[in-house]
Amino acid sequence: MQKFKVTFLPDHLTITAEKDKTVLAAAISAGIYLNSNCAGDGTCGRCKVIVNQGQVKSQPNGIITAQEKKNNVYLACLTTIQSDLEILIPDSSRMDKDIQTDSLRCDATIEPGDTPGKNFGFCFDIGTTTISGQLVNLNSKKILGTKTAYNQQAAFGSDVITRIVYAAKTGGLEKLHNALSGTMNQIIQELVSEHKVDLNAVNRIVCSGNTTMMHLLLSMDPAHIRRQPYVPPANFPSVLRAAEAGIQINPQGLLSCVPGVSGYLGGDAIAGVLSSGIYQKEELCILIDIGTNGEIVLGNRDFLVACAGSAGPAFEGSGVTSGMRASSGAIQKVSINKNDFSVKYSTIQDKLPRGICGSGYIDLLSEMLASGIIDKSGKIKVTGKRIRSSDNGGEFVVCFKEEIQAQADIVINEADIENLKRSKGAIYSACAILVKHLALEFSAISKIFIAGGFGTYLDIEKAIRIGLLPDLERSKFIFIGNSSLAGSREILLSSQARRMADALASKMTYFELSMDSEYMEEYSQALFFPHTDLAKFPTVKF
Amino acid sequence: METQLVLEKWPGVVSTVIIGAKKEAGGSRGNTVTIGGQNSLPLLFKEGAIPHKPKIAFEIWDIAPQDWPEELISAYAGAINDPLAWAEKCVNEFKAELLCVKMQGTHPDFGNKTPESAAKFISLLLNKVKVPLIITGSGDDAKDNLILPACSEAARGQRCLLGCAVQDNYKTLVASVLADGHSIIAESPIDINIAKQLNILISDMGLNLERIVINPTIGALGYGLEYAYSIMERARLAALSGDKTLASPFICFIGQEAWKAKEARVSVEQGIIWESLTATSLIQSGADLLIMRHPCAAQQVNNYIEKLFKE
Repeated sequence: MQKFKVTFLPDHLTITAEKDKTVLAAAISAGIYLNSNCAGDGTCGRCKVIVNQGQVKSQPNGIITAQEKKNNVYLACLTTIQSDLEILIPDSSRMDKDIQTDSLRCDATIEPGDTPGKNFGFCFDIGTTTISGQLVNLNSKKILGTKTAYNQQAAFGSDVITRIVYAAKTGGLEKLHNALSGTMNQIIQELVSEHKVDLNAVNRIVCSGNTTMMHLLLSMDPAHIRRQPYVPPANFPSVLRAAEAGIQINPQGLLSCVPGVSGYLGGDAIAGVLSSGIYQKEELCILIDIGTNGEIVLGNRDFLVACAGSAGPAFEGSGVTSGMRASSGAIQKVSINKNDFSVKYSTIQDKLPRGICGSGYIDLLSEMLASGIIDKSGKIKVTGKRIRSSDNGGEFVVCFKEEIQAQADIVINEADIENLKRSKGAIYSACAILVKHLALEFSAISKIFIAGGFGTYLDIEKAIRIGLLPDLERSKFIFIGNSSLAGSREILLSSQARRMADALASKMTYFELSMDSEYMEEYSQALFFPHTDLAKFPTVKF
Repeated sequence: METQLVLEKWPGVVSTVIIGAKKEAGGSRGNTVTIGGQNSLPLLFKEGAIPHKPKIAFEIWDIAPQDWPEELISAYAGAINDPLAWAEKCVNEFKAELLCVKMQGTHPDFGNKTPESAAKFISLLLNKVKVPLIITGSGDDAKDNLILPACSEAARGQRCLLGCAVQDNYKTLVASVLADGHSIIAESPIDINIAKQLNILISDMGLNLERIVINPTIGALGYGLEYAYSIMERARLAALSGDKTLASPFICFIGQEAWKAKEARVSVEQGIIWESLTATSLIQSGADLLIMRHPCAAQQVNNYIEKLFKE
């Protein structure tokens, strides 16, 4: 096989690649991540690159305009290498941030100097859409800092199923693994440099995440997770050197994963049970982890049953027009004036708004319902200066770009609302079906723990009003934030917690919803605000 | 020993809908038609009250139908090209108690009549015949939003039944029906959840649940009849169990579906059987209002209803 040198600008990275390899594949090998929402099918048009020098072969597509063609713009995924190349990657084609590619120099196995005082660890929550990492001082047990980033695997599909399918393609598993370890290494790098911690002093990592993410982190083939009877290759992965999973800390440092229960109920749920403490409670509790793959655990110290509902990434700010994750500048509280539909909002860290995060969407939907902007099916039913039509149905302007000094207005349209409605429907119906299977009523539950990374706050009242959470006494609800991260931190700090996690994973009973005919019925009923059966939400009145 | 049947008593009752207004109610109809009001499953007379029989409405169009088979057209020989004469024939000759007029001629592809001419047609029709009217649009959402308000206004006070409101297009029609004192047909695609959601959306706009008739959408014999049957049965069971948002009578567009079947086009006899069978089956699942096309099929179904309700 003929090989060529491919240089990427402005990074000045050169790699050797085989003839007929796509430019996209070569870029990934070089550790450069391009936008590729369609996973290389040539349909999304997000991976445009400029070929400065050399010969390429490209397939025809309807995306590159005549003008772009003249300027040597190509779609990286449909363009193959035919000679030595020099390729310029425009910023717009790059994923959010570069992956740090410079490897660490840490050859010594015997550390010089007195080091026991410097002992750090990381805990991670690896979600389908977002990844959170936390740097912890293992001696003082203090949290030094937390960082969250979008999972770069999003370039290969937004849900676990598409990722599993992608993993089966040639080189797919490797790419997914690299994207994941790349995001984690980036978080580690940023946190250690911010807190001036020597990477060699980081000795331990504990990760919790859904089963598919764990497999991709450990480069294990996840194919069987989506095949009946949905049994994953490993629920209890063993401890290994972080370097083996491509994670750059002390070369002798260890990485372990919180054990999972089944193909769709992973260590994140176990970590959540651990940190919420529902396994110790006498009264009946439910833990609702609102994520792309939402997990519900019901039980107490005597029993634990769980199910997972695929809710999609909308509440994590992905797949919605003005969505963003819960970081600085994200709108998280909203109120709307009933008379003129003017909007008041507050953002995380009180910065100028850049988008809307999950808790902002919950507020926004509830306020739009209460002020009569949308009807109970989520369609816009009024007119006004903030309301206009768009390619995605009616649209409501939350912030005009002039008031926030931005390139675009912050909006919510009917397609977004539909998306959010499906997400909230999936979560609610998963809870409802679990409770139903145990022949219980929601009213039998004493405490409801709400977890998830959709914001620093959650308005329980509004979450109930849109039908995301069951209509129960408000005092029963406890918002605990990212419970998966908190649980993995406990395991990082305590061997007792680790043993407890193993015990919990062995004893939890799992309900598979995809085999459940009643689930679809519950789900269709939940596709309404708050619910098709209004009697289930007696305190909600619009 | 005689076997004792177990009787079931239901807490819910289907709402009663009156179509048509006589002079004393502010209209000019010669008769009115009342449907619904039952608190029992169909034909289980011992379990609860069934105060009103299922009713048949003759379907007519505001233009001569292009896609009706010859077997059907010939039943209205001579009148089909003149909608007013057609209406009169239904009432005088076939003793229709109720007419359902489809404003097909307003569809952009079938004549594209203006709202003004549609309104005028409704006024003429109301003068020509004295039976209550059901008025349905052509199915083109944008055009229906212009046509139906005009028809509604032209028939103000006559307590017509107007349709069909669907989940993505109900607001304009609800507003008109509210303003002009009519009732509304709420159509859902063989989906009990959407039927319920649409009823809620409509009642949220201020129209009483008692002024809604559900069009559950049906299929003819051999074309999804059982599916429609079971959806209607489920909705009715929910209504009788006390769910007010589903406690509306059903309207079923029998003729429209039955005459689509290729079997119905084999011969006039077979077409009539196809239409009657579809209608009689759906009476068993709770149909209250049957929109039919062939006068002989309507006659047969009417005889059947009379026999069932004899006691």
